[in-house]
Order: sequence, then C-alpha cells, then structure tokens
Amino acid sequence: MGSIRFDKVDKVFGPLTGGVKALDSIDLEIAEKEFVAIVGPSGCGKTTCLRMVAGFEAPSAGVVSVNGKKVTAPGPDRAVVFQQFALFPWKTVRENIDLGLRNKGLAKSERDERIASALRLMNLESHADAFPHQLSGGMQQRVAIARAYVLDPEVLLMDEPFGALDAQTRVVMQEELVRLARVNPRTVLFITHAVEEAVYLADRVAVMTRRPGRIKEILDIRSVREAENWDRHQKIEDVMDLESFVHLRTQIWKSLREEKGPLGV
Amino acid sequence: MMGRKGLASLTSVAAALLLWFVVTTLTGLVSPGRFPSPAEFWQSLVQIATRGYAGAPLLAHAVQSLKLVLLGFAVAVATGVPLGLWMGWSRRAEAAINPVFLLIRPIPPLAWIPLAILWLGLGDAAKIMVIWFAAFVPSVINAFAGVRAIDRPMIEAARMLGTPRWRLVREVIAPAASPMIFTGLRLSLQASWTTLVAAELVGALLGIGFVLNVAQQDIYPGMILVGMVTVGLLGWATTWLLAMAEQRALAWNMAARD
Amino acid sequence: MRDTPLSFAERIGWGALGLAVLLGTWTLLTASGLVPRPFLPTPLDVLDRMIELMSAPFAGATLPQHLASSFERYAYGVLLAALIGVPLGLLMGWFRWLDDIVTPLFDGLRFIAPIAWVPFAALWFGTGIGGPVLIIFAGAFPPCLINAYRGARFVEPRLIEAARMLGTGNLRIILEILLPAATPSIVAGLRVAAGLGWQSLVGAELIVAAAGVGFMMVQAQANVATPTVMAGMVAIGIVGMVIDVALRQGEAWLRRRRGLEA
Repeated sequence: MGSIRFDKVDKVFGPLTGGVKALDSIDLEIAEKEFVAIVGPSGCGKTTCLRMVAGFEAPSAGVVSVNGKKVTAPGPDRAVVFQQFALFPWKTVRENIDLGLRNKGLAKSERDERIASALRLMNLESHADAFPHQLSGGMQQRVAIARAYVLDPEVLLMDEPFGALDAQTRVVMQEELVRLARVNPRTVLFITHAVEEAVYLADRVAVMTRRPGRIKEILDIRSVREAENWDRHQKIEDVMDLESFVHLRTQIWKSLREEKGPLGV
Repeated sequence: MMGRKGLASLTSVAAALLLWFVVTTLTGLVSPGRFPSPAEFWQSLVQIATRGYAGAPLLAHAVQSLKLVLLGFAVAVATGVPLGLWMGWSRRAEAAINPVFLLIRPIPPLAWIPLAILWLGLGDAAKIMVIWFAAFVPSVINAFAGVRAIDRPMIEAARMLGTPRWRLVREVIAPAASPMIFTGLRLSLQASWTTLVAAELVGALLGIGFVLNVAQQDIYPGMILVGMVTVGLLGWATTWLLAMAEQRALAWNMAARD
Repeated sequence: MRDTPLSFAERIGWGALGLAVLLGTWTLLTASGLVPRPFLPTPLDVLDRMIELMSAPFAGATLPQHLASSFERYAYGVLLAALIGVPLGLLMGWFRWLDDIVTPLFDGLRFIAPIAWVPFAALWFGTGIGGPVLIIFAGAFPPCLINAYRGARFVEPRLIEAARMLGTGNLRIILEILLPAATPSIVAGLRVAAGLGWQSLVGAELIVAAAGVGFMMVQAQANVATPTVMAGMVAIGIVGMVIDVALRQGEAWLRRRRGLEA
C-alpha cells in the first residue's frame, strides 16, 4: 500500500486570464515504501506536484492517484510536512500531534500511546508540553514530522522540510530522517532544491526542467547506495566524500545547470 | 521599584492636581461657575454617593450604564465575530455582505440614536440597539481581516490531518484569528462607551449619561466633573478587564512576541 | 481562503443579491404593513423626503443649509485638533521631558468618551458653534497627537544621527527631519481624526446644537417624522463617505510621491 502515480499531468495557473503552464505532462510512478526526491530550479512546479498528491490542488489535465485511487481532497492518509512547519502556535507539542488522531476518532488511551511513541521516535519527550514558539526551528520541524508520522500514513509528502533551517540543524535532521526511513520505511515524496540532500536521502531523484516543468531524467540512487554500501557510514559528510556520491551529485548538477538562464539564475 | 517613567508620571499627575487647586481655589482664576474646585468636586461626589442625584445614588447610575454597555457589547460581539469569520472564510459571503456593509458603515453609530428612540423609546432596548450597531462593525471587520491573514499552510495542515469543519473553525480558524479579533473587541468596547454616553445624554432616566444631562441643565459643574470621572473610570476598568482576558486567551501569542 | 477567488461577474452577482435582500426585506416589512409606515418608511419614501428637504426647510433650514452649518463646525474642530495635536505630538516625540509630562495626563483623559465633554462644552462655549467645536476637537485630537508622536518617535535613528553629525539644531531637526519623516503617519492619523470628528459632530449636534443635521434629526424624532430622521442619516453617511474618499485619495497621492507603495 502507498504507491503514487502521475499520469500525463498538466497544470495551468490562472486559466481564466490566459494562464501560465506550470507543469507539462508529468509521468512518474513511486512504488510502495520508495523514497523519491524531486529537484529542479525554483518555480519549476516541483512543489505543485506535491500539492496535487496532497489534494490541495487539482491537475488541469491527467490524473494523480495514490494506490490506484484518484486524489480529490486532502486526507490523513497523505501526511504533509511543510517548509514553514505549519504548527498550530496555540497548541502544545502534544496537542499538535494529537489533532490528527482525534480527527480519526481514536480512543484516548490509544492516542496517548501513539503520541508517546512518536515523541520518543523524534526525541521530543522532554518538550511534550511546550508551545511551538518555545522551540528552535529544528525542534519545531521534528514536531511537524512527528505529527505526520503518528498518523501512520501510507504516503509522506515533504515540501522542502529543511529549507528554513540553518546548515548545522539541517545536517542533523537529514541524518535523523535516514535513520527514520530505515526503522520505519514509508512512501516518501520529497521536494528540495538542494542536490546533496536529494542524493543522500532518496532512492531515486527526479530532475525537473524550468517552467513549464517536465521530468527531464530520473536517477537511480538506491542501486549505487547498495552497491557501494553507503550505509556503513554514519555521518553525512563521510557519505558525501565517497566517489560514487560525488559522481551522482555532479551528474545532477550538470543536468540542472543546463536549465539555468543565460546569467546562471 | 518605580522607574524613571513611573516617577515622571506621578509628578506630572500631582502637578496637574496642584494646578487645579491653584487656579480654582487659591487664586480664583477660574470661576466656580465654569469649573469646580477640588472641594466642590468632593462635595458633589459625596452628595451623589450618599443622598443621590438625578433620581438615584451614583452606584445605581453606574450599574445601569455598565449593564447596558456589557449587554450591547456582548450582543455585538456574539453576532459580529461569527459574521466576520464567515465572511473571511467564504468569498461568496464576503461578496454578498460587503456591499451592504459599505452602504451602512458610513452612517456614524450615533446617528442611529434618534431612530432607535423612535422605534424603541427611552428604555434599555433602544440603547442596546445603538450600542450593538456601534460595536458590531469593528468586531466584524477585525474578525474578517484576522481570517484573511491566516497563513495558508496552517489551514492546509489542518485539512491534511482530516480536521472536520466545526473543529477546524473552533480549533484552527478562530484561534488563528484571535489576535485580530481582540483588536476588534477593544475598538468595539470603546465604541460601546461612546455610544452609551451619547444615547443617555439624548434621553434616559437613569445612568451616568443622564447624570451629565441633569447636571448640565442644573449648571452644576461639580456634578458634571463627577459624571465625567465616573465614565472615565468605568471605561478604564472594562478596558483593563478585556486586556486581562486577552492576555490569558493569547498567552501563546504574547510569549511569541518577546 | 477555502474558495478560489470569485470572478468579476460572480462578485457583482453576489453583491447585487446582498443588496436586494436588504432593500427587499426593508420594503416588504413596511409595504406589507408588518411594521407601520410611520415607524419605517420605504426606501422610496426616504428618497422622496431627501429631495423635498433640498428646498423645503425643516427645523429652521433646508437640508443643504443644515449640512453647511454642520460642516463649518466640523472643519473648525478638526482643524483645531490638527493644529494643536500634530505639533504637540512632534515635540513629544523629540523632547523626552514633554513626553513624560503629557503622556500620563493624556492617557487618563483618553478613557473619557469625547461625547462626555458635552456638558462642559455647552457651559463654556454655548450651543452655537463653540460647544460643538470642542466636542469635535475632543474626538479628533487623539489620533492627531498619537500619530505625530509615533511618526516622530520611530524615525530611523540614522537620519537623526546624520543630522546631529552635521551640527543641526533642535528646531531644524524637528522641521526638516522629524516632520517629513513622520508625514505618512501624520496623514494616516488625520484621516482617522476626520472620521472620528464626523462621529463626534453627529453626537454633539444631537445634544447641544441649535442647527445642523444632527439637530434636524432630533427635531424630527420629537415629531415622529421618521422619513426626515432617515434622510438625515443618509445625508450624514454620504458626506462622511465623501470626506473619507477624498482623504484616502490625498493619502495615496502622498505615498506615491514619497515612493511608498500606495
């Protein structure tokens, strides 16, 4: 359970006023428990892809489906982690994590149990009763991830989740996410503009073109990772030094650079 | 410990009181027919507090005014805030209601007083109606603006979590808009007092505005000042209560600001 | 928020529906006799009465004449508030000692609704023009003062340091640095003051005037002349709106000239 499929998906913004074509015939299949990252220049529509899986936006043509069922509305089977965290500032960490469970109509005892395990998973136990503004950015994003994970969703959608964090926190969160993906694998669609992050985290990386966004190529990272046994390294900087990593990163960079404008922007 | 600021305030207020004493009592620069001396003010206060004035003791007048303000304010908030939230949430509601608003809003609330008296007479109902009209607009506008200013991801996060409609309004929309809602409540409260005093000045049989009215006809400066001070104190007290309520309700937000 | 923005036609349609419901309910209420006509005239009755009042006097004057005397008081009151409030606010923004003296007194007085000045206003200045002017002043003064003060207080400190470094004196700093820097805030304050002043004018005229639209409405109320009361409300609304639109235009023009977004 938990496959995602884009079938010839177009997206046009403002169709009443002439319209801007943001996405052009996107075809992409993500298997169950697969981690796919989409990278691309800003404004290429990669976030729009995620928002369509989440059900926040509808395709102008084509079909986005999860488990073979067409996506029509947002729902807790497709949990989203937002770049801006989007925690509820008037709710404590516990209450933030609890909301989705209450919406599912679960009994108090089960909710408490699941919250406790989510807090443990994200190392948040000592902050359960803090308000979001009392936490650092990295901690807030842990809460957002816990809020998504606790729902036990089939699909996890992450929209540049570490984009608002400082460089050091970001590295910690990336390592954490890899740990999480090994312990508790999920289907993940991960949007980022950071190439290293994509190569480090994903099983496959899809590179998108400038607007109108198209999928230019898809690189298989997983086979390289397994062949070269990246997982024997604990730290991200050790992995990033590996020749196989550098090679993949350079390949994506070249592909992206062809997409930049004449001034390199 | 009192800071420099507190000391300066105290000095300033003390100096003003002294000046009042000097110009009215010591030098007689201002005649008692124009503005009361501190002694006259005190006598008037004692008179209305013990023997009563304008048909009732001060406490009864104050309670009457306070009651009407709180009732009118409550009705205005109970109707205005939900309407504002709805208009903020639904573009259709906004499109349908906004023109009606644009039509009615330029009419100052005080201009409704004659009509309210025509319809409902000099009793409580007319005053509550006028206060309602006056306090309604700031409540609606600020609740509306509060909803419109909510960050999109916040709503999307709630929808992604499968939050049902009512819970969304109660636990996400309303709290997210609450800082703006409280701004509206402050303005509404202020409008309530202004309107009540005006309405009681135009026609009433009890209340602080009525005291002012009778004192004006009696040319009784001491009692006029008592009435004004009472209005100021009541306004201050209700504003303070609202600020306390806001601080409690928005603890999460206050802390975020420092 | 939840909905996508409406198209122009949809906006017009929904807006027309809203207005139709309002006017329809109003007309139905009175035309059906549910509410007796003397208490709630139809919209057309009010319009008729307004046209009539253009030439026929009520309470001693025609509607335009009442409006003229209202407007005269209003202009004096607001002008006075601006002429005292703005300079005082600027000075308070610059001289800390003045701020310390005035602010506690001002904060104390602010809780007294402007309309509560009516008895003293009548006692001191009578019911002709002086009394109402004082009440309008009381309504319009706070925003003039507060906005000038804030504008001056929160001027970019670098500007002041630069002026100081050039050896600029107090008066020149106030006139050539604080005043221009605070102008957008002052203008915004004037707009608020104009609105509050208009409010206070109505209140004042209901209680202490012997002419003006408010006076006309009170007289009409005493005579159960509901159409005249409502005609007065409409006239007050229209004038208030015109004042607001004019000031908004002025403010937008000023912001454009300053290179700020409108």
